[in-house]
Amino acid sequence: MQEHINYIVQRIESLNPLHGKKIKKNMTFFDEAYEITFSGFLKKYITYLETENKTLDYAIDCYLSMIADMNVEAVDFFRTGKYSSSTFQEVNDRVYAKPGIMEYYMHGLIMSQFLWKHHYQLFSSYIEQLPNYASKIGSYLEIGAGHGLYLSRSLEILNNETTFVVVDISPTSIDLAKRFTDSDRVNFHLMDVFDFSIETKFDFITMGEVLEHVEEPLKLLTKLNDLLNEDGTVFITTPTNAPTIDHLYLFNNVTEIQALIRSAGFEIESEMSFLSEDVSPEKAEKFKVSTLYGAFLKKTKK
Amino acid sequence: MEKEKALEKVNKIFIDVLDNEEIVLSDATTANDVEDWDSLTHIQLVVAIEREFNLRFTSMEIQSWTNVGEMIDCIISKNK
Repeated sequence: MQEHINYIVQRIESLNPLHGKKIKKNMTFFDEAYEITFSGFLKKYITYLETENKTLDYAIDCYLSMIADMNVEAVDFFRTGKYSSSTFQEVNDRVYAKPGIMEYYMHGLIMSQFLWKHHYQLFSSYIEQLPNYASKIGSYLEIGAGHGLYLSRSLEILNNETTFVVVDISPTSIDLAKRFTDSDRVNFHLMDVFDFSIETKFDFITMGEVLEHVEEPLKLLTKLNDLLNEDGTVFITTPTNAPTIDHLYLFNNVTEIQALIRSAGFEIESEMSFLSEDVSPEKAEKFKVSTLYGAFLKKTKK
Repeated sequence: MEKEKALEKVNKIFIDVLDNEEIVLSDATTANDVEDWDSLTHIQLVVAIEREFNLRFTSMEIQSWTNVGEMIDCIISKNK
C-alpha cells in the first residue's frame, strides 16, 4: 500500500505543487493504524479501477479536477460568504445530471477518503466507538453509503445476525458500495430517503456527509428520528464551511449543527470535530477553515 | 500599472495574509520558497489580491500561475 500512496503523493506534488504541500503534511500524520485501515480499501479500489479499464493516474487526475473545482468554489465562498448553489435543482443541473462531472467527482471523493487527515480522523473515531454499541444493534441502516467504507467496516464490527439496509439516491453509489462491500447481507434501496418507509424501525442509523446536500436538513434529521427505535443511536457527520460543487446547505459553525440536531428531537451522546487544515483555532476562524463534525445521537426522552 | 508597483502591493498582501514580515517576493518566487503559501492560503491570497486591485480572476487563472511573476502579469493584463 505504501508504494501506491507514495506514488499518489508524488504525482499530486508534481501536478499541483500547492495542493501537494498539504497532502505531504497529511502523510506525516498517518500511522500504522492508517495502513491497516486503508490497505484493504485501496486494494479494492485499484481492482475496481482495473475492471473499469482505468488506472491510478486516471483517479489522481479525477482527484485534482475535484480539487480545482473546490478552489474555485472556495474563492467564490470568500467573495460572497455563501455556497454557490442553494437548491437541489441547481446542484442537479450542475452536477448530478452530468455524468462526466459525476465520474471525476466520485473518484475524487474516494481518493479524498484516504488522503485527507480529517476524513481519516473521523472514520477512526467511528470504528473505535461502534463496538460499544454492537450488542444493542440488531438492525443497521445507512443513508447515502457513498463508496461503502463505513458500511464495510460496520459489517465487520457488528454481529453476524445484524441486518443491514442501505438507502441511496445515487445508482453510482449503490453500485460502488455493492462492489466494495461484496456482501449478500446488505439490502440496497435505490431511492430518496423521504420515500423510504418500513414497518420495523432501526437500532442504528449512519448518515455520513449528507445533511449539507439537502435544502432542508431539519426535515432529513426528523425523518431519521422517525426511522429510529426508541433506544436506537444515530451517527451523523457533516462539515462546516465546505464549499464544493454539490453542497447547498451552509453550516457556519458547529453550534448551528448542534442546534439543528436538538431541534430534530435528538440529544448528543458524544461528538467530535476535526479541522480540515493544520491551523490554530484563531486562524481557522479567520480563514473559515472547514470543520468536519461527527456525533452519536439518541432520541430526546419525552 | 508598473510591474514593480504591483509586485510591491502583492508582497504586502503576502505579508499580511501569511503573517510573515520577512517575505520578499520576486518574479521567480514559487510556493516552494514561501513556507505558508499552500492550497488554503492561496485562496486567501487570491481574494485579497482581487480586493486590492479591484478585479476578478477566472478559475483558469487562479490555477495557472506557477510563480509570482505570472500572477503579477495576470494582474497587470486585467488592469489595462
